[in-house]
Amino acid sequence: MSDTTTTSTKQGSVEMDDVLRYELLESNGPKGAPTGDPVLSVRNLKVSFNTEAGRVDAVRGVNFDLWGGRTLGIVGESGSGKSVTALSLIGLLDDNAHVTGSIKLGNEELIGKTDEEMSELRGTKISMIFQDPLSALTPMFSIGDQLAEALLTHNPHMSRSDVRKRCIELLSIVGITDPENRLDSFPHEFSGGMRQRVVIAIAIANNPDIIIADEPTTALDVTIQAQILDVLKVAQKETGAAVVLITHDLGVVAGTADDIMVMYAGRGVERASVDTLFAEPRHPYTMGLLGAVPKPHLQAEHRLVPIKGNPPSLAAIPTGCPFNPRCPMATEECSKKEPVLLPANAAEGHLASCHHLQEICEKNLTYAEVYPDFEPILPKWVDVPRNERPVVLKVENLTKTFPVQGKGFIRRSKGTMTAVDRASFEIHEGETLALVGESGSGKSTTLMQIMDLLKPEDGRITVLGKDVAELKNAAQRRELRKDLQVIFQDPMSSLDPRMPVYDVLAEPLQAQGWNKEDINTRIGELMRLVGINPDYVDRFPSQFSGGQRQRIAIARALATSPKILLLDEPIASLDVSIQAGIINLLEDLQVQLKISYLFVAHDLAVIRHISDTVAVMHLGKIVEYGETEDVFTNPQDPYTKALLSAIPIPDPKIERTRERMIYQDGKLVPATHISNE
Amino acid sequence: MARFVWYVTKRILSYIVMIFVATSLTFFLASSFMNPRSNFEQRTPRPPQESIEENLYRTNLNDKTPVIERYQVWVTNLFTKFDLGMTPTGDNVNREMSSKFMASIELMTPATILSVVIGVSLGVYTAQRQYQWQDRFLSGVASVLLVIPTVVMAILIVFAAIEINARAGSRIFYVTDLSSGDTGNFFTWLIDFLQHIILPTIVLTIVSSVGYHLSQRTYLLDEMHADYVRTARAKGLTRKKAIRKHALRVSLIPTAVSVAFSLAGIFTGAVMTEKVFAIHGLGEYFINCINNNNIHGAVAVAAFSGAMTLVGALLADLFAAALDPRIKMS
Repeated sequence: MSDTTTTSTKQGSVEMDDVLRYELLESNGPKGAPTGDPVLSVRNLKVSFNTEAGRVDAVRGVNFDLWGGRTLGIVGESGSGKSVTALSLIGLLDDNAHVTGSIKLGNEELIGKTDEEMSELRGTKISMIFQDPLSALTPMFSIGDQLAEALLTHNPHMSRSDVRKRCIELLSIVGITDPENRLDSFPHEFSGGMRQRVVIAIAIANNPDIIIADEPTTALDVTIQAQILDVLKVAQKETGAAVVLITHDLGVVAGTADDIMVMYAGRGVERASVDTLFAEPRHPYTMGLLGAVPKPHLQAEHRLVPIKGNPPSLAAIPTGCPFNPRCPMATEECSKKEPVLLPANAAEGHLASCHHLQEICEKNLTYAEVYPDFEPILPKWVDVPRNERPVVLKVENLTKTFPVQGKGFIRRSKGTMTAVDRASFEIHEGETLALVGESGSGKSTTLMQIMDLLKPEDGRITVLGKDVAELKNAAQRRELRKDLQVIFQDPMSSLDPRMPVYDVLAEPLQAQGWNKEDINTRIGELMRLVGINPDYVDRFPSQFSGGQRQRIAIARALATSPKILLLDEPIASLDVSIQAGIINLLEDLQVQLKISYLFVAHDLAVIRHISDTVAVMHLGKIVEYGETEDVFTNPQDPYTKALLSAIPIPDPKIERTRERMIYQDGKLVPATHISNE
Repeated sequence: MARFVWYVTKRILSYIVMIFVATSLTFFLASSFMNPRSNFEQRTPRPPQESIEENLYRTNLNDKTPVIERYQVWVTNLFTKFDLGMTPTGDNVNREMSSKFMASIELMTPATILSVVIGVSLGVYTAQRQYQWQDRFLSGVASVLLVIPTVVMAILIVFAAIEINARAGSRIFYVTDLSSGDTGNFFTWLIDFLQHIILPTIVLTIVSSVGYHLSQRTYLLDEMHADYVRTARAKGLTRKKAIRKHALRVSLIPTAVSVAFSLAGIFTGAVMTEKVFAIHGLGEYFINCINNNNIHGAVAVAAFSGAMTLVGALLADLFAAALDPRIKMS
């Protein structure tokens, strides 16, 4: 935008350009408009990489400013350039990155600085929190050593006792109990959430002016995510730093950010205060993102409308507006010229880059009008009501324990760990039961137990009226397995990369002894069923996008016409804009084929949208089991209440006012009572 | 600590059992394949039959005695007198081995130290310069050296040394043995020793440093791009410092494990190199034992190598536990 009309005036010490002028108007958030001089100014930032596939333009002209105490949320899908933007601020890009533009920290230009020069600023002025806390800490050094290193790198003369004092102080700021004794612990002795707290402690050790958080909670469970976001707020209060929060999850920014920039294909496509963006999104992509996500706090009123297509590959960005191949409003103009950020509401500093911006603003177009193909929720129970349908899967008192082994030559058993503790549930034909829980709750183990089709340790599994304990041999088991298929989380790794789609789909059929002709017809059917061109059967999985790969995985599972599908986090690894398409597909298939789903997921919004009944698992036990709407609107168990209160809701107003509850030793405690002072 | 000592003791005890079983099997195997009788029968003039029987009987090598009885005698002597038995010529294996043993240690110690230091340094150096010319050149050389068999390399170096000697007109390098025998004062002994040791050391160093170089390079490259190195840089460490302090430390664990094994290898010698350079160490002794139907000698060397391998395994675990806090020894 600044390259079209630059009217520079001076205000204070900062050059006043259009970017800054509009940003200063962004007042529709919890903190009002920013005041004073920005701590960091990014102008026309461009990053490209030379790769084997040619030049990749990861960031193509990004502008923003940061103010102390404010949080800028950068939202985008994979390949939007959000992480590359973050890494370029702190100078941690790979050597093959080519960075141009300007990043000014106060009056200091950061682009062009050497690694040595940047290392002076890293930690003291700018620090960073990374996505995966499990790998972000060096396994060989104690927590205390790693914290001390952050201090000593910049203050080499600090005395040992001062370092220790400061480390203890830092750990207590981020809410680690008993910090004195925790200093000598090693990272592997900490859980993921605790490690992320340590990473945050390291980031704030030298009171930085800017904290960059790159998907800080993506790898964490929902209740831990809520805690980490709280810790981040504490850290910001403690340091007065500007925070850049990078995420794909609109719920996360709703409660945390003051200003939001939505990125697509390496550029900011919309920028506004948080309340404005959620209330009046003006870019069709932002509308699509907000609309395509199921709402955890509302009952579904219509089917999800996915954004068609896939996020563009950065090596081949479409000409014109990069969103035009996916945009429902796209016209000829859109494919010719790339739009620039223009004011949608100049008074509020709301900017969007769309050729149809004027039309959208004048008519006040909303998601429902831009993406008009709203369909009612499919009538699942029309022909046969739910109660009259047979029970296809019944699990009674399922128990699974694992021996806890000692180490050494002779591995003696040191007792047992109960992974699944007397779990019971049943699924009718054409029904979806969601198994919800955090990592370690035993939901995946339950799934594996059912899939094994073996007599469980204790309890009973009945599949289609057959008790699996009474299956006598592998042949009977194989026969039953035809009716019971599974879909895994990551379509990238669950499909053999060296098998063309044809072989992937033919394999289950060959295992059931089909002849070649039948297999060929069936594969054609399957490809059409999941919405992939049947001509693509000779392609390899790597030639498909993530969403298409998951469709292939679904087709593979459907090959033998199963009655029951076990789905283990089937959409967790997909981009937000793709998820809706897969959810719709699963719904369609259920109505068409009357399949039952056992759906394991941690995303409660998706579960509310897709499931009929919910079983909430905690430490191996099913703590709550009931109709989805009942469980979501009127949860009984304290753990369920805590879980539901931790879901980030993509609506800043609700997110700011509601109280979060924490589950502690069987009781509910408001989160504010265990704040990290 | 007590648990640690108990753990190590337990390991050692189980190792002793393992070695005993393996050695006994070697004894039976060697007894069935080797034929010390032929040593005597092939002599010209052939000794009288009674003398042959007498000799074989005295050395507990007579195949007319049932093998289980010979084994009994051997085991009894081993446990009561730590006597490893006799060679067909009537020499004591213990005495023979202890003299060879020193030669092997003299040969292997400098080579092992050098190859670890040079190999690991080169690995670290090239990993930090991945795909730059230094890396391409050094790693290329290493790959070439890796595929040259030890014997070929040893002979090439011997040829080169002889050529240098000829050009120089005096004997700078000795190509056999570890000393010339007559030693004056310490200084002349040292010069003489160095003249002998340098060539086999070069061979052994090249052969094993190449392995350390390539594996250390891979280990470090794996770790260099780890997330925790990025965290360290985000703290304010320069890239070089972050790699040196964080990535290097982690990448040294697998190297330390293989160093532990080669430390044990110091005592067992190097078969090929000793043979080529006529160094009378354990490696050469092993070959000679097999050639000369020296059953007890071969079994003793095999048992000793086995013991050293297990010591290496124990050392490897101790090293890994010392370096990696995630491993607990208990």
